[in-house]
Amino acid sequence: MAQLEPTLDLRVGAPKRGVRIGRVRVPGWLVLLLRNRKSCSGLLIVAFMVVIALIAPLISVADPNLPSFAGAQAPSWHHLFGTTDQGSDIFSQVVVGARRSLLLGATAGAIATLLAAVLGITAAYAGGLVDEVINLLTNVFLTIPPIPLLVVISTYLKARGLVTMAVVIAAVLWAFEARILRGQALSLKSRDFVLAAKASGESTWRIVFGELMPNMVSRIAAAFVLVFYISLLVDAGLEFLGLGDMSATSWGVTAYWAQNNSTVLQGEWWPFLFPSVALGLTVLGLVLVLTGIDEVSNPRLRTERRRGRLTALIFGKAAA
Amino acid sequence: MSAVATQTLIEVRGLEVEYGRVRAVDGVDLTIGTGEILGLAGESGCGKSTVANAIMQILRPPARIVGGSIRFQGDDLTGKRKEELRRYRWRNVSMVFQSAMNSLNPVMRVGDQFVDMMRAHEHISKSRALTRAAELLDLVGLDKRLVRAYPHELSGGMRQRVIIAMALALSPELVILDEPTTALDVVVQREILQEVEALKRDFGFAVLFITHDLSLLLEFADRVAIMYAGEIVESAPASRLAENALHPYTQGLMRSFPPLAGPRARLVGIPGSPPDLREPPSGCRFHPRCPHCLPDDATLYLRQTTERPRLREVEPDHSVACHLVEA
Amino acid sequence: MSALEVRDLSKNFAVGRGLRRPQVHAVEEVSFSLRPGTITALVGESGSGKSTVARLIARLYDPTSGSILFDGGDIAHARRRRDVLRYRSQVQLIFQDPFGSLNPVKTVRHHIERPLRIHGVVPASRVEGRVHELLDTVGLVPPAEVAAKYPHELSGGQRQRVAIARALAVEPKVVLADEPTSMLDVSIRIGILNLMLKLKEEHDIAFLYVTHDLASARYIADDILVMYAGQIVERGPVEQVLAEPLHPYTRLLLAAVHGERIEERRGSASAAIDPTEGCRFVARCPLAVPVCSVTTPTLVEAHPGQSARCHVTAPAN
Repeated sequence: MAQLEPTLDLRVGAPKRGVRIGRVRVPGWLVLLLRNRKSCSGLLIVAFMVVIALIAPLISVADPNLPSFAGAQAPSWHHLFGTTDQGSDIFSQVVVGARRSLLLGATAGAIATLLAAVLGITAAYAGGLVDEVINLLTNVFLTIPPIPLLVVISTYLKARGLVTMAVVIAAVLWAFEARILRGQALSLKSRDFVLAAKASGESTWRIVFGELMPNMVSRIAAAFVLVFYISLLVDAGLEFLGLGDMSATSWGVTAYWAQNNSTVLQGEWWPFLFPSVALGLTVLGLVLVLTGIDEVSNPRLRTERRRGRLTALIFGKAAA
Repeated sequence: MSAVATQTLIEVRGLEVEYGRVRAVDGVDLTIGTGEILGLAGESGCGKSTVANAIMQILRPPARIVGGSIRFQGDDLTGKRKEELRRYRWRNVSMVFQSAMNSLNPVMRVGDQFVDMMRAHEHISKSRALTRAAELLDLVGLDKRLVRAYPHELSGGMRQRVIIAMALALSPELVILDEPTTALDVVVQREILQEVEALKRDFGFAVLFITHDLSLLLEFADRVAIMYAGEIVESAPASRLAENALHPYTQGLMRSFPPLAGPRARLVGIPGSPPDLREPPSGCRFHPRCPHCLPDDATLYLRQTTERPRLREVEPDHSVACHLVEA
Repeated sequence: MSALEVRDLSKNFAVGRGLRRPQVHAVEEVSFSLRPGTITALVGESGSGKSTVARLIARLYDPTSGSILFDGGDIAHARRRRDVLRYRSQVQLIFQDPFGSLNPVKTVRHHIERPLRIHGVVPASRVEGRVHELLDTVGLVPPAEVAAKYPHELSGGQRQRVAIARALAVEPKVVLADEPTSMLDVSIRIGILNLMLKLKEEHDIAFLYVTHDLASARYIADDILVMYAGQIVERGPVEQVLAEPLHPYTRLLLAAVHGERIEERRGSASAAIDPTEGCRFVARCPLAVPVCSVTTPTLVEAHPGQSARCHVTAPAN
């Protein structure tokens, strides 16, 4: 006896209708994310960074790496974040760096998620030989250790531009997500509505894109956010080690020079602090959005107000 | 078959339970006497499982009791401390719930699960508990050797019997069966219910039998209560209900079972569907679906649509909540 | 004249792991035909193979052997996509779980539109109108409002009506209903059963009604097939079979439903796994005689129109 009780039904897979505020239509999924405190704060942080990135050309100097005679200045009204040893304005570097980071994260996220979704879901639904081949491919990519690979590639690759970096990171991360999405698609595949679509004569493509994928949106969105923030960390990490694109304006590069010039030892905390905080804040925002997506998709993760939630957030947030 | 209730085991008065802002149970009165089988019938969303959970005191947030009282042998349960409730559960009242047969631990042998359960409630040695488990299995018609079996080695019907045996392990005074046979075939269903009847005769426990299948209750229960949208709409001895159901909803339910003998007439069922409890209909909650709610009789219609009917005893031991019956 | 005929249909599944995996004979040499404008009930317990039969006919799996004859051809062995697509436009399946059979993130309109578009039943301009007509036919009004809803906004009975509307969209000759009411509230079931009766009469559809509920089978069906452990054990006009059941299993079912005391038999009911010769019901049968464990009985017409698979009540003479 399983007729669902409309009143007590917590079917979260079901789409939520949007609301209208004045003349603006807010889509259902956004409403859900905004309601959840974590993802709401995360979204605000990320939105803030996006705005900064967008207005970057307006609030920064023409060339953030231009040296000047005002070297190693502490933060002041003239240089909000101070200057580097060479006299470059750190505020401009951070603000312009935001553009690079966000663009990189979004590109890597998009490529990896697209690959993972298409390959993973098709493998699950088609089964048989297709599944075997895609699994082989996935396994090959999974066994490659990511950091050494990235180090090797960036050492040898002549072009270290943003797109290259994005593609390399996506190539390393897609397999992990593909496996997860394949698992979820497998469990959906034998659901009656998929069988019903098949019995109606729907083609495989339409089932993958029209029936399966729309029911996996939250997982796919989570995959995107995950790859996004990992790529930020990886990129900054590589640059900090001097292995990235050292001519770019980015948080990692700024931190690299800060470290290289031993600025902190000289009591100059600002070249190191600001890019790191920018990175940390963005990653935090993305992690919060990820947690929010998780909680919205799985109501059992939602808890009443409880202390210790922050610790759980920090230590529980290992992988999506 | 009727058992004379010598004393009241469970008395529920004016029970109100809310899930968040939805009132799932809205003013329910029930009594269960010693050794009696009370049937509680209703469709999805009527609140019958919520009532059972309230009696077992296992409601979890966001569900909470917001009004009324539940007394076990005169003792009010709502005031009790956690430790007292823990002893009450399973020892005085136990429960077999829907698809309980799927709640057996798949990696433990059946006998060990009994042992765990018994040792959680009393001081008993493992070997003694295991012996008792074997006896209980025998009691419900299973081979004693199945104590060593794993749940997946048993069929659905056998697992349900294991669950029933577990519910009886501590000799409770009341056993609540919440849709105990819905997922089982008609033949197995009959075997299990026959078994429960026999056990009841031997051990004298009372039964609260919750199901949507009214025909089963008319056969097994002593008294039957019908629930709709969080309220009790009719309550009577099973035989009375079978002969002369008074509430239009009960009558509609009885007309929803196609007959196996006699003429093959077209049935009507009950139009519409159970209401959304977030916004229940005003007045009598059944009025939108009731064939007797028509604007023709203006005064009656007004009452039906604005005033909630109260459960009143219209014949000895037969209560109905219906404006039409009272008129 | 039959709309669809099934001949010696069999399906085996392998169970468990390992080198030598036992085979469940989920469906074994099942034969019957569905006539237009009739409802045939396929009755049995869970595990009897009845749902598998429906899914085989719907071509959700391939049979191990046997044929499904439709429109002059054996669809069980058809490979061309065009043939399969045409078959799917004529033979539709309704599932048991009213929520699971609808895609939670798509509207009612989408569900009914898709078959219309896939099979080009009506020109594109007429699709919206047809969706509304279909919703009207199954009693979901007002159609424009219902079409915009998502499955979770409907009750179980309403969802099942959407599933029926979807099946009707292609104007099928055959509809396979796999326990369409067993997950619905009792008072709603009659509505769905009445709808099926109406469609049978007005559209001349051949229905296969899979169920474990004898009473509802009697209510709407013309013929009945009783299955046990993958085999058909009795068949015939529904009134006749229920009034004078031949096979001991049918009698057992009737006794259980009538509320008679039944004698318990201990033992497992896994007669369909790696079955040996002999009647599969022998372990539970009160009429068993020695030959029952030795020879598998065949379906024998013991009364006009009524056959049973039993050495004792329908001997092959």
